[in-house]
Amino acid sequence: MRIAALIMICMAWLFGAHDAQAHRLRIFATVEAGAISGYAYFVGGGRARGAAVLFSDAEGGELHRMQADERGVFTWKPPKPQTIRITVDAGDGHIGAVNLPAKRFSAGDAGIGEQTAHAPDRDHSHDGGELAALEKRLEARIEAAVARQIRPLLEAQEAVQARMRFSDIMAGIGVIIGMAGAALWAIARKPKLPGPDAT
Amino acid sequence: MAHIPDGVLAWPVLAAGAVAAAGGVAIGLRSISERDIPRTAILSAAFFALSLFSIPLGPSGVHLMLGALMGLILRAAIFPAVLVALGLQAAIMGFGGLTSLGVNVFNLAAPGAVAGLVLAPMIARANAPRAALLAGIAGAVCVLATGGLVSAVLYVSSADYAIASRFVLLSYLPLMIVEALVTGFCISFVKRVKPELLARTALEH
Repeated sequence: MRIAALIMICMAWLFGAHDAQAHRLRIFATVEAGAISGYAYFVGGGRARGAAVLFSDAEGGELHRMQADERGVFTWKPPKPQTIRITVDAGDGHIGAVNLPAKRFSAGDAGIGEQTAHAPDRDHSHDGGELAALEKRLEARIEAAVARQIRPLLEAQEAVQARMRFSDIMAGIGVIIGMAGAALWAIARKPKLPGPDAT
Repeated sequence: MAHIPDGVLAWPVLAAGAVAAAGGVAIGLRSISERDIPRTAILSAAFFALSLFSIPLGPSGVHLMLGALMGLILRAAIFPAVLVALGLQAAIMGFGGLTSLGVNVFNLAAPGAVAGLVLAPMIARANAPRAALLAGIAGAVCVLATGGLVSAVLYVSSADYAIASRFVLLSYLPLMIVEALVTGFCISFVKRVKPELLARTALEH
């Protein structure tokens, strides 16, 4: 009876109101207008405040190093669109990494800031090259707007992926029970040697 | 913190941890008799589930380790129990690395195994309050030992972790108190309800 009560208390604590989980460090990162922005956080905990953030290329070469702010937020604009690996080190062996593939950067991301800073030249407004540049700027702005709009969805998806599922925990416990059963079965198959008290 | 991920530790540390853990697992498997299998599996499952849940504290959080509790009941069999649980956590949920599995197993299991071999006979003879006190001390010391081992492997792996490793011990202090209370309560409970759980394992017979 007391064991049953203890198990009930443990189960209530485990699967009750809080959803705290092992302090795994995760990273949310997205690209907006050619700049990488995101934050590092502990699953079930807070943000990784002041964590060291390293941006490297696909070959592992260091591109940029910075510190996340008090909210664990980091922002950096790479010089050109390319695959970027973001590694966050919050200390105590808490390290997380995420890859942003080059396709996450749009074609117009390279130098979008410079392009939008200049007004179009009125003397060549009907020029084909100017039209193409206008289209490129428009495309970049649409992509930036879309990125801004879908950011909450990406954050929600990241949060869902970070959550541990009850089925995963039960699967792990099931495997352990299965292994114990297999071990007992293997031992039971062994012929028992007569003990010292055997007659 | 005890779930060190891949890519953090230097390969000599990983290799040494793997060898040490393999040795512990071999000794642990030798010590397990038919009677010990269910208790080993139950404690492995409890560790698997409980160590996934952390209480937010400071920048990250702390979670129970149960090293002393497992060590006092399982002795050397804590090694295979922790190996299975940490292996499943890494494989299913990505908690802790697969290359660092040996180091993580050793860091968690070795203090528990030592506590079991040294203190378990005393606890088995003691009355419930004294057993709870000894178990509580074992719980706190095991957390401190695991924290020390985590700090050591971080420090040895890279000078970059020198500062981080100093703070590991500080962050383990609240957990020492919680772990001492939990271990003391559980051992006291076992002592009153099912004292044969604290009986010797096959290796000590």
